[in-house]
Amino acid sequence: MIENRPWLTFASHATLLMGIALVALPVWMALVASTHPASAFGAGHIPLWFGDAGAETWGTVLFEKAGNGVDTPVWFMMLNSLIMALGITFGKIAISLLSAYAIVFFRFPFRNLCFWIIFMTLMLPVEVRIVPTYEVVANLDLLNSYTGLTLPLIASATATFLFRQCFLSIPGELVEAARMDGAGPWRFFFDILLPLSRTNIAALFVILFIYGWNQYLWPLLITTDDAYYTLVMSIKRMLSVTDGDIAWNQIMATTLLAMLPPVAVVIGMQKLFVKGLVDSEK
Amino acid sequence: MTDVILEKVGKTYPNGYHAIPSVDLSIEEGEFIVLVGPSGCGKSTLLRMVAGLESISTGELRIRGERMNEKEPAERDIAMVFQNYALYPHMSVYDNMAYGLKNRGMAKNLIEEKVSDVAAMLGLTELLQRKPRQLSGGQRQRVAMGRAMVRDPKVFLFDEPLSNLDAKLRVQMRVEIRQLQRKLGTTTLYVTHDQVEAMTLADRLVVLNKGKAEQIGTPMDLYNKPATPFVAAFIGSPSMNLIDANLTEQGIKISEALTLPLSHQHRGGIVWGIRPEHLEVSDEHNADFALRILAVESLGAETLIHGKVETELGNGDPMVVRLSGPHLPDVNSLMWLTAPVLHWHLFDAKTQQRLRD
Repeated sequence: MIENRPWLTFASHATLLMGIALVALPVWMALVASTHPASAFGAGHIPLWFGDAGAETWGTVLFEKAGNGVDTPVWFMMLNSLIMALGITFGKIAISLLSAYAIVFFRFPFRNLCFWIIFMTLMLPVEVRIVPTYEVVANLDLLNSYTGLTLPLIASATATFLFRQCFLSIPGELVEAARMDGAGPWRFFFDILLPLSRTNIAALFVILFIYGWNQYLWPLLITTDDAYYTLVMSIKRMLSVTDGDIAWNQIMATTLLAMLPPVAVVIGMQKLFVKGLVDSEK
Repeated sequence: MTDVILEKVGKTYPNGYHAIPSVDLSIEEGEFIVLVGPSGCGKSTLLRMVAGLESISTGELRIRGERMNEKEPAERDIAMVFQNYALYPHMSVYDNMAYGLKNRGMAKNLIEEKVSDVAAMLGLTELLQRKPRQLSGGQRQRVAMGRAMVRDPKVFLFDEPLSNLDAKLRVQMRVEIRQLQRKLGTTTLYVTHDQVEAMTLADRLVVLNKGKAEQIGTPMDLYNKPATPFVAAFIGSPSMNLIDANLTEQGIKISEALTLPLSHQHRGGIVWGIRPEHLEVSDEHNADFALRILAVESLGAETLIHGKVETELGNGDPMVVRLSGPHLPDVNSLMWLTAPVLHWHLFDAKTQQRLRD
């Protein structure tokens, strides 16, 4: 802004700071709560400064067991989540890259129909088709497996659409130049198309990773074996202890740990993410 | 040796549009052929058919005696320079030039040698590690040419390569392209809509109109003896004055009040043409006709005078006169002109063909 009004600067900064406080306060409370003994949070008053039980709680949760009836340690569930999230992300990107490639650069009958059919699956997220999808996965004997966790989620109309738009913006002359240079379909895909959609891939990676990491309903449904429990769904299970007190400190620590990977991905890929959404290098 | 032969080559699009009825052209080795015509005349389509980017509907294309119709672009041993250069934006200048060679499985050290040779020839050695977006328009143009040259192809194809450059650079690159082509001696097919570019570059010109080759010949052939009024109007700037007239026993009857004497056995409707630079200023007694001046364009080295042929029956056909040096006649005044018979061009109005002189 060119305007220079001190009170305006002050007001806008104050608003922003309030917003940050509003968002960060629960995180702060969770962090604080995880350092107090289990009883402190349940007793009715909410501590605002660190206690002295932090190291013990975090150590137990991360390496021994998450507690509240979940006997696997957080690092193991984190690994499961990571496998699922990365599986979904890479699967989605690979499949939609290929389908967009086919739709944009190859002439085949019913090309547009194919695109619109893919596009229509936007209306069918997992939640809508959960029963039939479960049936299919169960019949294929994929319950309690990484394949079962990822495969039904990797088709993506959004990503296909995004890559289609990205490919459409690649000038036809470039495609022709590659043909003259003797690049076949695969060479063209790997040498020209992939590098040119690098930023789009990065942006999608961020979005899709968070989507995959935060999957709740689907893993809850198809995993019954501790070995495949993901972190996000376990938090819910930790809350539903039937007997005894809820160990809030452990839950808080687990929650914070569950937040870390998406945060890391967003921070690490921030630059590419913004670039992929804002500019196109062509 | 004949290098490239187009034999009754035609193009019909799937929707039935007849872009090119039939073109015959044979190109000698090392020849610089320019395809020229207004937009939509099919010149780019023809070039792309030679390149293999468009299929050939009818006829045959042969390069060095080998039928090319069904071959992939990469198998035709040709290289193309595109209008927007089509450089790979994510690759350095070096990689852009080397890509085609890599795909052909050439050895790395050989590629390096070739690329650096060509880069040196084009003055790109310093820029080899840069990305296309860090280059100016002229440099990009050079890279695009370099990419074509490293392949050492049988034929170069240029698709309006200079149209994205500013006027000054265009002239400079034009000269450079011509010099390079002479030096390399590679057969070249060049598409442009700019007749100046066409005239200065070509060994032979192909003037296309609605997918038909109106005339094929050297620039001077086309200038001196255009085969049709279309070619006459297209070649030369400002374009030839063309006036519908009638050939009678008295001569060329341009209007009721003006007849230019000529004995010619042809009778009937004709198109009479004379280039602006061939009209001469004279005095009232010796003049063929008078021109009512409507506008004067002074360019310093030459002056263009736009006017209308004036007769007793009023103003007639528009006409442009080109005089060398500065002239400042008054607008609306009369100017007396002679049109030397030597420079007349006569075309049959019906067949649109040039009449024998």
